[in-house]
Amino acid sequence: MPELRLDRITKQFKNKIAVDNVSLCLSEGVYGFLGANGAGKTTLLRMVCGVLKPTAGEIRCNGTKIGKLDGDYRCLLGYLPQDFGYYPDFTARRYLEYLAACKAVPRDLAREKVQEMLRLTGLSCDQRNKIKTFSGGMLRRLGIAQALLNDPEILILDEPTSGLDPKERIRFRNIISSLSKGRIIILSTHIVSDVEFIADEILLMKQGRIIEQGTVKEVTQNADGKVWEYLAGPDESLRLNETFSVSNLKNEGDKVRLRIVSDTCPCDGAVPVRPGLEDVYLYHFEEVSEHVDHLERRTL
Amino acid sequence: MDGYRFPLDERKKAQCLSAIRLEASHKRIRHAPAFRELIWDQLRFYSWKHWVLQGALLLAAMLLSLILRRRQADDFHTLAACSVFLVFAGNICLSHVGNLFSFHMAELEQTLYLNLKQMVCIRMLEAGIADLALLALFLATTGGSPSKIGTSLIYMLVPFLWSDVLYLHMLTSLRSTSSAFRSFALGLLCGALAIFPLYWEFLYQSEYLFLWQGLAAAGLFMLFAEINRLICRIEEGDSMCLN
Repeated sequence: MPELRLDRITKQFKNKIAVDNVSLCLSEGVYGFLGANGAGKTTLLRMVCGVLKPTAGEIRCNGTKIGKLDGDYRCLLGYLPQDFGYYPDFTARRYLEYLAACKAVPRDLAREKVQEMLRLTGLSCDQRNKIKTFSGGMLRRLGIAQALLNDPEILILDEPTSGLDPKERIRFRNIISSLSKGRIIILSTHIVSDVEFIADEILLMKQGRIIEQGTVKEVTQNADGKVWEYLAGPDESLRLNETFSVSNLKNEGDKVRLRIVSDTCPCDGAVPVRPGLEDVYLYHFEEVSEHVDHLERRTL
Repeated sequence: MDGYRFPLDERKKAQCLSAIRLEASHKRIRHAPAFRELIWDQLRFYSWKHWVLQGALLLAAMLLSLILRRRQADDFHTLAACSVFLVFAGNICLSHVGNLFSFHMAELEQTLYLNLKQMVCIRMLEAGIADLALLALFLATTGGSPSKIGTSLIYMLVPFLWSDVLYLHMLTSLRSTSSAFRSFALGLLCGALAIFPLYWEFLYQSEYLFLWQGLAAAGLFMLFAEINRLICRIEEGDSMCLN
C-alpha cells in the first residue's frame, strides 16, 4: 500500500506562486481537491505525477523521493490530465495498446486489460473507430480507461467528469468508488457533487494553499452557523441576492426560499440550517468567482 | 512397500490449488521490459504512412541515381540528389520524435513507465539507425574509392546534420505553432538547405573540403547541443510537457 508524503511543496512560475508550501500525507482512500479555477490544483497534481518539478519541497512515496524511484514510481501511477492527450488517427484499441506498452504492461495481459477497460468505460463498440471521431464524453471515458490500464495504486484524475453527461458522471463515480480499496485516488474538480459522495477526504485549495482538509462531515461542520434559509418576497429576494452569497433559490408560491451563505444573520427571520459541501465551497470561493466574473465581463 | 503412495484427496488438492492461484493473481507482478522490447514497442506503433513514405523516398532516390548514372551524369548531381533525399528521410524519422509532443500527449507520456525523455531517446536512436542505413545505401549508390566515399559522406552529412539541428531547434522553440505549419515550413527550409550548394558547384571541389569538414563538425556539435537542450527542457517540464 503506497503512502504519498508532500513536504512543503512550492511551485513558482516567474512571478506567480501557483502552489504555496503545501504539506500533505495521502494513504488509501479517495481525496477530493476542490477549488476555483487557478487555485493551483492542476499544478499540484502535475508535481505529484512528476510532470513538473517543485520549486521547493519534496514528494516521497513510501519514504523515497519520487525522482529517485523513477520508473518504479511511474509504474504505480494512473493519470488523467485536464487536457487529455491522444493521437487522433489511432483507433481507441490501438491507443490503449500503445499506452499499455508504454506502461510496461506485459503484452499478453495488455490485450486482456484493454478489452476490460473498453468494457468498463462502455467503449467496446467503438474500439475500432478513430479517436478523432469521438465526442467529448467518449474522449473523457477513453481517458479514464487509459488511466486504469496498469491497475494503478495511485490514481490521479484532473477534472475527470468535464464533458460527461449526468448518466456518465454517475457511472464514473461508481467506477471510482469500486476502485477505491487499496489505492490512493486523487480527484481534482470544481464540481462539488463529483466528490461529495465518494471522497473520504476533501481538500479545499485557494491561491495555492490548502485552506481546509477533512471528511465531508468535518468540512461542513466548520461552516456551521454560516448558512441560513429565509422565505422572502420577490423584491426582498432580489435585494438579498445582490447583497449576499445565495447558494440556492426556490420559488414557493409567490415567495422565494433563499439559502444564504453569510458569517452573520442576513436578515430578521432567517434561520440557520445545516451546511452542505456546496455551501462551504460558496463560502470560500465566492470572492474568487466574483473576481473571475468581473474579469470575464471586462474581457467581453 | 516401495510403490506405496498415500491416496490423494483430489477435492482438497483442487481447493488448495485454486486458493494458491487466487493469491497469485492478487500479487502485482512488475514487468520490466528489456531494451529491445522497448525499441520494438515504439516501432510497432509507427503508422503505416511512415513506412510507405520512407519506402517511396528510398525507391525514388535509387531510381533517380540509376537514371542519372545511365545518362552518365557526373557524381556531383548524384550526390546532390542523394543529399536532398537523405534530408527528407531524416525529417520523416525525426517527425516521430515531434509527434510525441503533439495533441497534448507530452504531459501524459511523461507519467508513463517509459516516460517522454526515454521515448525521445529511443525514437532518436531508431531515427539514427534508419538514417545510417539510408546513408550507407546512398554511399553505395555513389560508389568509388574509399577516399571518395569519405568525401561523399561529408557532402551528404552536412545538409542532413543541419536540417536535423533546425528541426530540433524548431521543436523546442516553436511550441506554440501548430505542428502542421511547423512541419510544412521545416520541410521547405530543409529542402532548400540541401539544394543550396547546387548553385555553387565549385564548393564541391577538393580545395573547399575543409569548409565541409568544418560544417560537419559544427553540425555534429550543434546536434548534440540541441538534443541536450530538448532533454533538459523535458526534465524541467514547464515548457515541453505542457501544451
